[in-house]
Amino acid sequence: MNLRKELTNFLNLCFIFSGAFMFWKGLSIITNSESPIVVVLSGSMEPAFHRGDVLFLWNKNKYNNIGDIVVYEVEHRQIPIVHRVLREHKNRKGEQFLLTKGDNNNGNDIPLYAPGKKYLQKSTDILGTVKGFLPQVGYVTIWVSENKNNAYLFYGLMAIAALFFNN
Amino acid sequence: MFSLNQRFQTVINAAITYAIFIIFLIITLFHFQLYVENNITETVKVNNLNIIKPILNLRTSRMFGGSGKFPKENLRIKFDLNTDLSPLFTWNTKQVFVYLTGAYNSTSTSSSEVTFWDKIITDKKNADLDLHAVMGKYSVWDKQNGFSNKDLQLKLHWNIQPFVGNLIFGEAVMSNSGDILHIPAKEQKTNGTA
Repeated sequence: MNLRKELTNFLNLCFIFSGAFMFWKGLSIITNSESPIVVVLSGSMEPAFHRGDVLFLWNKNKYNNIGDIVVYEVEHRQIPIVHRVLREHKNRKGEQFLLTKGDNNNGNDIPLYAPGKKYLQKSTDILGTVKGFLPQVGYVTIWVSENKNNAYLFYGLMAIAALFFNN
Repeated sequence: MFSLNQRFQTVINAAITYAIFIIFLIITLFHFQLYVENNITETVKVNNLNIIKPILNLRTSRMFGGSGKFPKENLRIKFDLNTDLSPLFTWNTKQVFVYLTGAYNSTSTSSSEVTFWDKIITDKKNADLDLHAVMGKYSVWDKQNGFSNKDLQLKLHWNIQPFVGNLIFGEAVMSNSGDILHIPAKEQKTNGTA
């Protein structure tokens, strides 16, 4: 047992985590989005997007075009929703209001919005607009987050790997 | 020297580098094929768009923009459409989403665009559209006013979802100048609820 070596290992581990965190936050600043990369969780945009697909978002645009695929979060619900802009209305003050719908859903999203809300506001409700797409790569995160045992297994393996494989 | 950890890292690094390179290659080739070979900015055009009739209805349901006391004017359109979207299909096209919209000014200071009809096309064989007397999918209401006596600029947009890469948006070229739709005022009825 070499204390200096163990401490170096621990420091390396910290370095990896802080690096990942900095990368994520840096990307947030560049794209102006809270979460610049999201994983699709539902099938409401099939066949365009399936569960586990990874989407890259951009949020520096002032307005959304009609037909854009946007990601929004309903207040008090932590699940980001990926749907397409069906209608857009700009008012006199230059604020934009959006009505969205999933390609694979029959109706529009009004029932999904917060009670009493009929439109999303571009400046406050939208997390980002989908620009790019990678298929299926995000399935790991779904697999980890939807089953507790999987999560323990995943983090356990990570911890073991970090302890044993650091030189 | 050659620990398992080092090898693992080398392999992962190489895999990620190659993956990024391949993805960029795919995106470049895809764009080249669409914009140069298929020349989609000019070849994708609307051969015929004929609005048979705009249908105005007053609706009170919250699901159609109304509220008990204030019914909303809802608009649907019935139309013919002929357009060939097959140039949008290449080996990296997963689906094309095509949508017919109308842009208008709700008031003199506010602008809007709404979708009347859309369609998902996943196969090149179905990309040559020839529709007759189709009813628009959506019953549309405006956020502020109604549609009576408004002029709508009709547009046919398309959106390509690739198997991998960035989403591509565009607008089909309108061939005839009759793409402005004038909505006549709705004739007054005594019990105007639907």
